[in-house]
Amino acid sequence: MESKFTEAYPKAPDEAREANCEKVSGMLDLMIDGEASTEEQTFFNHHIEECVSCFENHQKQKLLKGLVSGHLKRVIVPQSLVQSIKARIQETL
Amino acid sequence: MSDQTGKQLSKEEKDARFEAELLPVLDPLYNFAYRLTLDEDDANDLVQETYLKAYRFFDYFEQGTNAKAWLFRILKNSFINEFRKKSKQPAKVDYSEVEGYYNSDDVEGESGVASTTDMRTESVQDLIGDEVASALNALPVDFRTVIILCDLEGFTYEEMAKILDIPIGTVRSRLHRARNSLKEKLEKYAKSMGYNS
Ligand SMILES: [Zn+2]
Repeated sequence: MESKFTEAYPKAPDEAREANCEKVSGMLDLMIDGEASTEEQTFFNHHIEECVSCFENHQKQKLLKGLVSGHLKRVIVPQSLVQSIKARIQETL
Repeated sequence: MSDQTGKQLSKEEKDARFEAELLPVLDPLYNFAYRLTLDEDDANDLVQETYLKAYRFFDYFEQGTNAKAWLFRILKNSFINEFRKKSKQPAKVDYSEVEGYYNSDDVEGESGVASTTDMRTESVQDLIGDEVASALNALPVDFRTVIILCDLEGFTYEEMAKILDIPIGTVRSRLHRARNSLKEKLEKYAKSMGYNS
């Protein structure tokens, strides 16, 4: 990714920008879990366009979630389980 | 949603609805049970227990509402009440200990994986899956639970709050700590595999 990192950040001096980094890093989970509001998303996306380290942190957080959702193997339900459930329900009546 | 006025269902209606609405959740429910107990027999018992309770309390289940969340909540409660005591959980981890700062190039196995041949990719994928599983299994059960609910089953924070009977703020902070802890464990693995830097 070609970064705009070296360009001067026009709106905020360093301190304000660091505060934004903190805010953004606190929003990483909201973003990867699809729980951020529209305003939060706008703020977040605008910031990571300008900030390489927050951009990278976002990538890493997505990767972590992807490791669980994409690589964790599901266990196979034993074939007898449905029958056991139905049988036990009928027993208890 | 219209017939929750306490009207008794006939047994046939009840059985039909039970099968149609609750049994399709069997696969995720069994997987959740397995990730909690880490034992196939315990998972089997826990799921049976859950469905028995669900059948008994089926009149309280509002048709058209979230059957999956409802069953997960019953299972979680059964686990806490009956299974947690007797199962061998990994030693409790002090939260501050696992707060670990997530640093630099860590879990970056995937880019390496993509460049290998298909066969190798497949075995590396297996390896990653195994490693994710063992890292996850090593987490305290509360951490494991939020990661499973969120990342594997795709529940929203609000649903997780209901399943776990905790405020959304607690869901968020627990998930955050759980992910930090998982990262730390996977980082060690990534380093040991030479993925790092
Ligand atoms: Zn930043």
